[in-house]
Amino acid sequence: MNASFTEKSVWIQFVATVVALGGYFAVAWSMYARGIHVLVPYVPLFFAAVFVMGMILIIGHVLAAIFGKWEQPDERDRLIHWRSESNSAWVLVVGIFATVACMVFAINNVLVAHVLLLSLFLAQMYQFGLQIIYYRRGM
Amino acid sequence: MALRKITIQNNIRQLRDHHGSMTQQELADRIGVSRQTVNAIEGGKYFPSLEVAFRIADVFQKPLDKVFICELKS
Repeated sequence: MNASFTEKSVWIQFVATVVALGGYFAVAWSMYARGIHVLVPYVPLFFAAVFVMGMILIIGHVLAAIFGKWEQPDERDRLIHWRSESNSAWVLVVGIFATVACMVFAINNVLVAHVLLLSLFLAQMYQFGLQIIYYRRGM
Repeated sequence: MALRKITIQNNIRQLRDHHGSMTQQELADRIGVSRQTVNAIEGGKYFPSLEVAFRIADVFQKPLDKVFICELKS
């Protein structure tokens, strides 16, 4: 792969987030559909997802460093990070307003927590997507 | 008043060839960026900061306007 270490890192974070949090939401959705409307049973599942994400990040970065050249981010990496973060911030803002709306309409805690988590997930996915586009197509 | 459109091109590829076929990695190491960033600059996918632009010009011992060519279009 003709990519700098920082670009590979973005791909690793993208995969880790999709696998761990995507998996979490798939299982959490089935739990919710089965009528589990209290938060406590979701907590171990969430920690399992965080553990999986951490393992993918560690293994991915170690492999990227072994099979490639470890480099500090340069000015292009930093600019791509800043621009993608700036352009994806609105997704998180929309998610926070959706969470507030859920609270106003007194929807149960499980749904409120998951709307907030989903907005974080989508904002992060959008940011990674933008970063990959900027790396591949230019800015 | 409408701003004139600017296109910026560069001669980095040719300058590398004239400096003993310097590789992108060698240039990257000398200006403190990754090889992929040099590749993106050469391909017009990324316009470097003034600092990096001056570093590139310094490596080739050329004035900045011999490395980067700016065309103003009306």
